[in-house]
Amino acid sequence: MAYGYTGKILHVDLTSGMLSVEEPDETFYRKYMGGSALAMYYLLKELPVGVDPLGPENILVMALSVLTGTAISGQSRLTAAAKSPLTGGIGDSQGGGFFPAELKFAGFDAVVIKGKTEKPVYLWIHDGQYELRDASHLWGKITGESEAAIREELGDEKIEVWQIGPAGEKGVRFAGVFSMSNRANGRTGMGAVMGSKNLKAVAVRGKKRPSVADKAGLRELAKWGAANLADSDIAGLAKYGTAETTGSNQTSGTLPAYNYNSGVFDGWEAIDGTTMYDTILRGAPDGKQDRAGRDTCYACTVRCKRVVEITEGKYKVDPHYGGPEYETTSTFGNYCAIDDLAAISKANEICNKYGLDSISCGATIAWAFEAFNEGKLTLDDTDGLDLTWGNADAMVQLTEHIAKREGFGDLLAEGSERAAKQIGRGTEEYLITFKGQEAPAHMPRVKRSLAVIYTTNPFGADHQSHEHDPAIEDDFEFYEDRMAVLGFTEEQEVRSLSDEKIRWAMKSQHMYSTMDSLDLCQFVFGPAWQLYGPEEMLKLVQAVTGWEDVSFDELQTVGERRLNMMRAFNAREGIDRRADVLPEKLFKPLKGGVSDGWQLDRDEVEAALDKYFELCGWDVETGVPTKGKLKELDLGWIDIG
Amino acid sequence: MLDIYLQLYSILREKLPPEAEGRAVLQMDDGVTLAELLDELDISRRVVISVNGDHESNRSRKLQDGDEVKIFSSISGG
Repeated sequence: MAYGYTGKILHVDLTSGMLSVEEPDETFYRKYMGGSALAMYYLLKELPVGVDPLGPENILVMALSVLTGTAISGQSRLTAAAKSPLTGGIGDSQGGGFFPAELKFAGFDAVVIKGKTEKPVYLWIHDGQYELRDASHLWGKITGESEAAIREELGDEKIEVWQIGPAGEKGVRFAGVFSMSNRANGRTGMGAVMGSKNLKAVAVRGKKRPSVADKAGLRELAKWGAANLADSDIAGLAKYGTAETTGSNQTSGTLPAYNYNSGVFDGWEAIDGTTMYDTILRGAPDGKQDRAGRDTCYACTVRCKRVVEITEGKYKVDPHYGGPEYETTSTFGNYCAIDDLAAISKANEICNKYGLDSISCGATIAWAFEAFNEGKLTLDDTDGLDLTWGNADAMVQLTEHIAKREGFGDLLAEGSERAAKQIGRGTEEYLITFKGQEAPAHMPRVKRSLAVIYTTNPFGADHQSHEHDPAIEDDFEFYEDRMAVLGFTEEQEVRSLSDEKIRWAMKSQHMYSTMDSLDLCQFVFGPAWQLYGPEEMLKLVQAVTGWEDVSFDELQTVGERRLNMMRAFNAREGIDRRADVLPEKLFKPLKGGVSDGWQLDRDEVEAALDKYFELCGWDVETGVPTKGKLKELDLGWIDIG
Repeated sequence: MLDIYLQLYSILREKLPPEAEGRAVLQMDDGVTLAELLDELDISRRVVISVNGDHESNRSRKLQDGDEVKIFSSISGG
């Protein structure tokens, strides 16, 4: 009997209108487990090499895991994967909310979407049934409006909707896919892929809960998490949101400011999580923000999501569109030297209404700010917008112009790397892109293993692809037990790129890769400060699936398998070590604060990359997985060519 | 005795009465260390600390009269 998964994969060919159901066996689920690894299987099997990411040949996979929809915190997440229009290589993104669990209840573990319809459609999946429906009347609508329209026409307020906004329809290369109008599969442009297929939304509703092999074991884990949350390292994140980390990053010099030229920002306190909690969370004026200003995902007791409501002043913000995460307060805030939390929240609202990744959007705007401040862009280039550091009004207007692909915003909608290439004038030196994707708000010049992982990560810079350095440096004493499970017993020197540090980065990357395959939240599960550690993750898989003999090593192998599949995907597209390049800016010293003068050393980084490829079992010269490594991971069927 | 100007952020603010909004002036013995201050506040988890605006990871640092200590609860990713 299948525990945890439905055993059904829905295949949708939008060109022919054919929909069919595949029923893989248990060995398939045990090997890939779901999420990103499962998605990679279909992309490698079914996607031809060299296709246009925004053409009908591209395939979009939405994938749950064997854990999704069970009654425990941190499991209701969905992977979206396709060839990326931003990087040209593999695209991959995870998002949470209630949609992932509801898709499982509706009867499916994954949906594989290919082709393109002539007219806009949406996919309606309910209680094992499925159909394509006309979406012409929804095209052009912002997320909140089309979500409401779908619920009304299908007559059920509890329907969950995963959709693109106008930015995805217009092919903004960093458009995401959204549920609840505020939960994003943000990164790598999956919304643009969906828009290119004329697929506006996927709506789901179902009543069938997944079977669980050991219900008592699952209950025990869930109770343990709820009981330990208040004393855990994520207690602050739960109440004050991810932006609670603003102050600590400022203190340790890893708060990217002035487009990554500095690791500190004087205006940090105005935009941090504590201030957000005290001032603009819904309910804050009456002290009721804990009840009214925090939201959650299915079955999650952490409740870290922000709900911002601003009813007065220049920037009014609708709580339906949530509130900014740390990444968003950073890219629209400290990246641009902006300390106006209302303006940042407005930019976040625009991203969620129109369907934009707030990391790439804010970072692309920060690139434009630097180019303007350095005299490489003028008012003639920017449609008259004054992009002087700290100009919040210009930042908000530019966000809207990108969302609508208007004027200068139309160019920035291509992403900062393509924009710099078109403009020239030396603006390339202001880029902070890896494989074309803009860097998130954690700094490789401070947390050095990020230099290796951002650079080699198959879909570009990503801060959620491995554990950050403090866990093996200053904070090691707090996480010794969990680090030991991962295989590490020695604290490493601060800002080092020792061989052991690189081995640790790779092993923690495998665990994060496993979590992206199990579609687990990386605040709730992880190798260090998260609520549940590696041992609890293993117990969860055993309890839900009934695979009593599954080991932590086997889970790590799933993550390693997924990572190798991604590198193999890129290799087929001609993307290899030549693309594992860092932005030049990172070899220049940071300015100000504790991290003043810190920079990466080119030779040290290249040596670290050599070591990383060697440890991964990949060809050091090309960075491509060897046939031996693929065979070892039971991936001998992949033909890199 | 030393006057230590303390500011706590995020969930750590709950170590003090709500009306304090995370701020307090503590009278501590001469020679008190950061580690002893953390013990006094019953803080045993990972935190990030600044003293007079500078990052401080040395918990055995002796505090001086008038020092401004900020303590942040934080995740290290996110």
